[in-house]
Amino acid sequence: MNAETSDAPPTSLVDRTVVPGDTVLDLTAMANQTIKLGAGLRQDCDTISVMKAGKLRLSKPNKYWVESSHKRYAPCVEDTVLGIVVDCKPDNFLVDIKAPTLAFLPVLAFEGGTRRNIPKFEIGTLLYVRVVKANNSMNPELSCVDETGKASEFGQLKDGYMFETSTGLSRMLLSSPTCPVLEALGKTLSYEIAVGLNGRVWVNASSPSTVILVSNAIMNSESLSGVQQKIMVEKLMQRLQ
Amino acid sequence: MEQRLANTWRMTNNEKKFIESVLASDLRVDGRRPFDYRDLTIKFGREQGLSEVQLGQTRVMSYVTSQLVQPYRDRPNEGTLSIFTEFSPMADPSFEAGRPGEFAVELGRVIDRGLRESSAMDMESLCVVVGKSVWSIRVDLHIVDNGGNLIDAANIAALVALLTFRRPDCTLGGDDGQELIMHDAEVREPLPLIIHHLPIAVTFAVFGEGNIMVIDPTHKEEMVMGGKMTFTMNSNGDICAVQKAGGVGVMSSIIMQCLQIASAKAADITSKIKHAVEIYNTERASQKANHYLLEVANQVSLSDVIMKEKQVENLIEHLAYMPLDELENSNQGDALAVDTRTKHESISQGRYTRAFVRGPANWDPYSRGISSRLATSFPTLPGFWCVLLGPKTFLLETEETTLLHAENSLG
Amino acid sequence: MEYVDSLTGFRLDGRRPNDMRQIRGEIGVVAKADGSALFEMGNTKVIAAVYGPREVQNRSQQVNNQALVRCEYSMANFSTGDRARRPKGDRRSTEISLVIRQTMEACILTHLMPRSQIDIFVQVLQADGGTRSACINAATLALADAGIPMCDIVTSCSAGYLSSTPLLDLNYIEDSAGGPDVTVGILAKMDKVTLLQMDAKLPMDIFENVMQLAIEGCKAIAQYIRGVLLENTKQLECRRGV
Repeated sequence: MNAETSDAPPTSLVDRTVVPGDTVLDLTAMANQTIKLGAGLRQDCDTISVMKAGKLRLSKPNKYWVESSHKRYAPCVEDTVLGIVVDCKPDNFLVDIKAPTLAFLPVLAFEGGTRRNIPKFEIGTLLYVRVVKANNSMNPELSCVDETGKASEFGQLKDGYMFETSTGLSRMLLSSPTCPVLEALGKTLSYEIAVGLNGRVWVNASSPSTVILVSNAIMNSESLSGVQQKIMVEKLMQRLQ
Repeated sequence: MEQRLANTWRMTNNEKKFIESVLASDLRVDGRRPFDYRDLTIKFGREQGLSEVQLGQTRVMSYVTSQLVQPYRDRPNEGTLSIFTEFSPMADPSFEAGRPGEFAVELGRVIDRGLRESSAMDMESLCVVVGKSVWSIRVDLHIVDNGGNLIDAANIAALVALLTFRRPDCTLGGDDGQELIMHDAEVREPLPLIIHHLPIAVTFAVFGEGNIMVIDPTHKEEMVMGGKMTFTMNSNGDICAVQKAGGVGVMSSIIMQCLQIASAKAADITSKIKHAVEIYNTERASQKANHYLLEVANQVSLSDVIMKEKQVENLIEHLAYMPLDELENSNQGDALAVDTRTKHESISQGRYTRAFVRGPANWDPYSRGISSRLATSFPTLPGFWCVLLGPKTFLLETEETTLLHAENSLG
Repeated sequence: MEYVDSLTGFRLDGRRPNDMRQIRGEIGVVAKADGSALFEMGNTKVIAAVYGPREVQNRSQQVNNQALVRCEYSMANFSTGDRARRPKGDRRSTEISLVIRQTMEACILTHLMPRSQIDIFVQVLQADGGTRSACINAATLALADAGIPMCDIVTSCSAGYLSSTPLLDLNYIEDSAGGPDVTVGILAKMDKVTLLQMDAKLPMDIFENVMQLAIEGCKAIAQYIRGVLLENTKQLECRRGV
């Protein structure tokens, strides 16, 4: 019995649903160990407690976080998101990324960006961007280039249709191997998709009916398992024919 | 400035362009055809006159209340109907708390006009004393979730609530025959409102140059549309109200086409509402029978005459099977039978407990210290109790404490 | 009550069913405003004043790609028979304000004046039925006077159905008879209906007739308003000595 407790993971709540206020770890019992905390957890003296309802995850050896799905987005560095231009300032574009505050997109944060070639965006333009700075005391900062300074698919998304889902669904869509709903749809239809971690999804295809079908299939898959998703898509396809 | 930008729900140009361009080829973003209505769900509350309507994502609650008031001077023999709308910021961030905004007023007025001007409700039947007191019916519409097309959803909610509402019966009586007597729901069955026909609002959104029409617009479509038209019609094909408050111009021939479509939809929705209300009423009636049964059983157990177990049971059974005859659906009947049985058990249990707890008929608050067991053993000496209240109580208390001690030692 | 004499076919005020009351429009009645007009339909008398396009007063309401149009409808205390004090912003006037605003927005080319504001004030000086029609006609004249770009002229007229006869341009007595009252606003040149309000029960075919009658009325008013505007422009040219 004693041996088992020492070897077992420090918390039995891993992969279980937790709610705010739950105590996950007791630090007094685990001296000389480093643990890393992710979203939804906080240290409260000698205990680690939960801040958000969701599933507790553990990545061996010592990373803990709470996985949950929300409609709002908490910015995090290196996330790729879809933003809407809200206002244009001399130095920055103000972009709505569903975060608590509007994000800044510096006018120079484009490939080969100089004062001479500042892009022009109308209000309401949809952008695929990367979060480069995120902390509580400042507005998040975005960029339209990757680390190497290349544009690599960041920038304005033209045409197509954008809809809002939850952060959980967008994470599922981005997971590998390819999410079942996208895979099933891709078998018969060709479409373009951009998923932002803030829960926004953009879809484009040559025919508008494909766009409508794909977007509705994705919105419907919010609470379906992998198999259910496949069945749902198959049914949709049958109705189409 | 920043605050303003952060608080509104916004739409991308992509969405706007897509919604408009797709409509040109008769498609809508939620997969409907231009003249498809969204799914309509009607729910009822525990109380009568409360309804909740869900139209796609839109949810509206409606609650009807009544009150006796003085009639308006120009209409001394008619009741009044007033509609109040509440657009709380909960439903949509663009709604502001406080005074109703322009659209809340418009919604209320459109529904009000549809009901009132087409004389859908018999207002004269709401009169109690001419010029003195009439019933004032108040409909409160509460928008819970704004998914577009609030007028139609609110209109249906208001109708359903009015259809299920019951007002207490009241008559004139008393010594001089002028006193208002309000009859309790148990004494006289509450009365429904007299509604001649159901004016159903059907809303169209207008796009483009006024040549593209779409029925029952969603929230997103409402952000893009150039204007909207609401036709309030009943199932006979009569037009009860029309509201097209500006916006993109439409050819009169298209308006007539829309009226035809609206008329068909109105008939469809009317049958849905009637069906839902009918189911609710049957359920309510059977519930009421159960309720009545419970009341009777309670009265039986409270009465001084002690009924024999057998008799009570007979009575209960008799009452329980009464409503069954009225039910056509055999399945429902089964469920109900089970239901009444469980109730009947609880009732008979209740009867025992009640009889036990109740103690002597002339229970005295001062004899607080007496255990019920002791009290029941002295049920026929009220006078004696009153006279010797002080010492007797004391005595009884000591007795009880000793008893308690005894029990404790046993336990 | 007999609203149409069964023998002569005349209405209470001596009009025929298809007759409109006398209409009169006058431009430039409020010197302070950027544009103003007075419009009379029989005894109904309405004054309209337009300010703008000007800077948006409440910055939070500013629209980035078009002008913000606001409208305020009010009835003077002395406008009706009983001289009651009218509370501002009751439900009826809020709704009429909304209706007038959206109707005028249909003809104003708002996208040409982004980030600006246009205020329309209409006041009923004398009410004798058809006030919202008169308000729209007055507002059209006032907007034209203010030189605000418009794609067409909006005019409005009402029609009713009493004693089984469609009647054009109801007066107060006919209006309060409790019969149907159809108010129509059209974009005159395009021949499109932008405003349509109706209450009281009416079968569909009769509704169509009444609506058509109101549309005819609107067209007649449009003709008149056109005349007034032409006259006014000519006078202005004269004054400049062209």
